[in-house]
Amino acid sequence: MQQQTDQALITAVLEGNSSAYAELVNRHKRFVFTMAMKFAKNREDAEEIAQDCFVKAYRSLATFKNTSKFSTWLYTITYTTAMSFLRKKRIATYSIDDEENHLQLENSISSYQANDVEKKSKYVYLNLAISQLLPDDAAIITLFYQSEQSLDEIGQVLNMESNTVKVKLHRARLRLKEKLEYLLKDEVKELL
Amino acid sequence: MKSIEEQIWEYIDGELSGKEREAVAKKIADDNAYATVYVEMLELHKLMAAVELDEPSMSFTRNIMDQVNLEMAPMALKTKVDKRIIYSLTAIFLAAIVGVSWFTIAYTHFPALPLPSLSLPSLSLPSFDYNINIEEFVSPLTLQIFFFIDILLALLYLDRLYRSKKA
Repeated sequence: MQQQTDQALITAVLEGNSSAYAELVNRHKRFVFTMAMKFAKNREDAEEIAQDCFVKAYRSLATFKNTSKFSTWLYTITYTTAMSFLRKKRIATYSIDDEENHLQLENSISSYQANDVEKKSKYVYLNLAISQLLPDDAAIITLFYQSEQSLDEIGQVLNMESNTVKVKLHRARLRLKEKLEYLLKDEVKELL
Repeated sequence: MKSIEEQIWEYIDGELSGKEREAVAKKIADDNAYATVYVEMLELHKLMAAVELDEPSMSFTRNIMDQVNLEMAPMALKTKVDKRIIYSLTAIFLAAIVGVSWFTIAYTHFPALPLPSLSLPSLSLPSFDYNINIEEFVSPLTLQIFFFIDILLALLYLDRLYRSKKA
C-alpha cells in the first residue's frame, strides 16, 4: 500500500478524520522524542515534552501553511517547547570544566562501565558525549545528523541564519570531539 | 582563514565548490596533518550519522490521541460566509452609488456648457428641518458616558490582546 504524504494526512485531519493524526505521530515520534531527550535528560520529562509538542501541533494544524516541510514546522514547535521546559525547570547547564560536572561525568561513566556489553559500544559513548553537550549544541547535531534537515531548515527550526547554523554546527562537533576524547582518553584513538 | 577542521568538515559535508573541493582533496592526499584530521572527522561523521533515534514508550501515541480527542478538532481556515450574502451587499452598494451619482448629475447645473437640455423626471425631495439644537443632546453628562464607554472598550480590547499574546 502506498504511504500517504504528510500533507495528505494533515488534510484528512482538517477534514475531521482525527485518527489520521495517529499516523503523523507514529511517523515523527522517534525524532521528536530524541530531540526532547537532548533537553530533558530523562525519559519521563522527554515524553512529557514530546507529547506536549504533538498536542500543540494538533491545535495549530490549521495554521500550517505548507510553505515548509511538516517535519521542519514540527521540530520548530519541539525546539521552542523544549526550551520553555528548560526555562521552567531551570535545569542548570555546566561546562566540562565545572567541578560538579566532573562528578556527574564520572558517575555516568561508572554506571556505563557496569555494563560490559555497553562498555564496548561506540554509540553508548557517543550518546553520552552528546548528552554532555549544551542543549543547543546537542539539538544542532541531532537535527543535522538524524532529521534529514538542510542547514536552511535547521535555521528555520532554531530561528537562525543558515550561516550561523553552519558555524554553530562546526563548534558543536569540535566540542563533541573534545568530550569524546575526555570520556575515552586513550580509547578515543581507537574509536575515531 | 579557515582552520584545517573547518575545511575538512566542509569537505565532508559536501559544501565546497569544485575548485575548493579539489584543493582540499589535494591537501588531504599530500599533507599528513590534513590526512590525520580527515580520518578522525570522517569516522566521527559516520558514527554520528549511524546513531539511532530514541524510542518513546509503547503508550506514547495512545496517550497523545487520548489528549487530542479531548481537544476541539482543527479546521481549515476557510471563509464560511455564504457568497449570496456578499453578492447582495455588493448589489445594494452599487445601486446606492449609481443612485447617488445619478441624483448628483441630475441636480447639478452646468450653465457654461451648451449642452442639449435633458428632460429629467422632476423629483421633489422631502423637506427636513435642519435647525437641530445639538446642545439639547450633547450635555456634559452624555459626553462623560460616551468617554467612559470608550475607555471601557479600549481596556477590554487591550486585555484581550494581552491574553492572546500570553497564550
